[in-house]
Amino acid sequence: MNAKIVRDVLIIAMMRSIPDLKRQPLFLTLVGLISALPLFFIMMFGGQLSNGLIGAMVATTGFIGLMAAIQDIAGDRYLKIREIIVAMPVHPISYAMGIALAPLIISSPGLVIFAALAIWLGVLTFFPLLWSFIILILCWATLSSLGFLISTYLQRASIYTLNTLSNLLGIALVFLPPVYYPEEMLGSFSWAALLFPTSNAAGLIRIYAGLLDADVLMLFARWSILVTTMIACSIATLVKAKWRES
Amino acid sequence: MESVNLRKIYRNKESVEALKGVSISVRKGELFSLLGPNGAGKTTFLRIISTQLLPTTGEAYVSGYDVLKQPDQVRKHIAIVPQDVATYGNFTPWEYSYYFAVLRGMSRHEAREYAGKALKAVELWNLRNRTCSTLSGGEKKRAIIASALASNADIFMLDEPTSGLDAVARRSVWAILREMVEQGRTILLTTHIMEEAEMVSDRLAIISKGKLIAEGTPEQIKRLAKERFRVVVEGSLSSLGITVNNNRVTKFGSRWIIYLKDEDEALEIVRTALRKGLKAETAPITLEDVFVKLVEGEAE
Repeated sequence: MNAKIVRDVLIIAMMRSIPDLKRQPLFLTLVGLISALPLFFIMMFGGQLSNGLIGAMVATTGFIGLMAAIQDIAGDRYLKIREIIVAMPVHPISYAMGIALAPLIISSPGLVIFAALAIWLGVLTFFPLLWSFIILILCWATLSSLGFLISTYLQRASIYTLNTLSNLLGIALVFLPPVYYPEEMLGSFSWAALLFPTSNAAGLIRIYAGLLDADVLMLFARWSILVTTMIACSIATLVKAKWRES
Repeated sequence: MESVNLRKIYRNKESVEALKGVSISVRKGELFSLLGPNGAGKTTFLRIISTQLLPTTGEAYVSGYDVLKQPDQVRKHIAIVPQDVATYGNFTPWEYSYYFAVLRGMSRHEAREYAGKALKAVELWNLRNRTCSTLSGGEKKRAIIASALASNADIFMLDEPTSGLDAVARRSVWAILREMVEQGRTILLTTHIMEEAEMVSDRLAIISKGKLIAEGTPEQIKRLAKERFRVVVEGSLSSLGITVNNNRVTKFGSRWIIYLKDEDEALEIVRTALRKGLKAETAPITLEDVFVKLVEGEAE
């Protein structure tokens, strides 16, 4: 990856995040609130806030990454901004990564608040927090690539269809699997947590936080699945990331 | 900029041949307009030549680079304004120009300089820090044109840049385009507004149903018609007692347009009409008249 590609990733990420950060405080609040909302119900119904906080951290990065990858790329196509960028000396990978990185920047205030809360409540200490960030980055990369692939495959779908699809996928990947709640609650189906990058990431963070028991083999299996999924989605994105239509 | 026998077939549920072997050559430093009715293939041509779309067959070159084989080189030399492009509502004109200039590889210092120049050129400097959501349609369009101008590219490709603008905004865009040409830039423009093509183009091509049907300066194109003058008469032609069988006549309700080769003949019809109390006037044939004749001829 050459310096121009990396530079362009950062420029696109800045372009797509700084105006929002400067002018859309309500949007930032909404981004944080979407992830924080389940915590309210967890507390109301006497659930474990520690599990909820980990879920909120995963949702902040993963859910936003997936939604933005689909909605921003569809939006750019709708506004014809994408055509302007295609006709520039910009690599498609820079565009895809820049679009994916922007929501991470936008969601970073929310992530910092949730991480600070997790430390304050004793859910995470320094090293588990460090592992958590690595896991969250992998989860974000996986879901952003997935979002990019979906928007690329569904090029002829309308922006409304893609927006609805991204919300449905967000719900399917963040709110249904054991992201906000411990996977033990699934009983004999707890293995299903490994199938979703979001719940797998949440499970891994819980292991490092001491909330979930796992032997070395299970830890290895979880990391392998998370990394493999991320690599597979990224490779597919690299292959599909073509500027020119045929 | 040159295209050689460009063909494009869209293969969806049914195949549509959008371009049927279009060869066009645009000279350095000229404003070349691609004129055609809706669905003629103008946008397809522009999307191919601006490296966004692959042709089915044919070749295209921009600044000496092969559009098919060297798209990265081509992209360094071009800037485009797509048809019906919209703006991010939360962006300011300054952000458009500045970020797009940086994205093209300029340093921050250079980007600031070119963004400033571009915004002054399109007279948006005073509005540079207002968000696009608060700008008028014409101002938004000028913000997008400024972002292309800030690129300092050699070649600009604009797809119907004045569509949806009022007459005043349209003329301000024309002034910007001519200014760009005077600064040595090459412009490829698509339009279906005849007045625009006539006012701003050095040369133009008429494209219809994917085929090139005429190419030349506006004056050369106008000479393609047999007639030189038009007479517009309001009222019944029969009351004039003139024979129009040999002339081309178009009727819009009670209004007639008569196309004639000879100016004296045109003036005589006007005089007769005025004597009979009808409204009448004559003028040289317009590009639109020729365009309609050519396109209808093609359709026939």
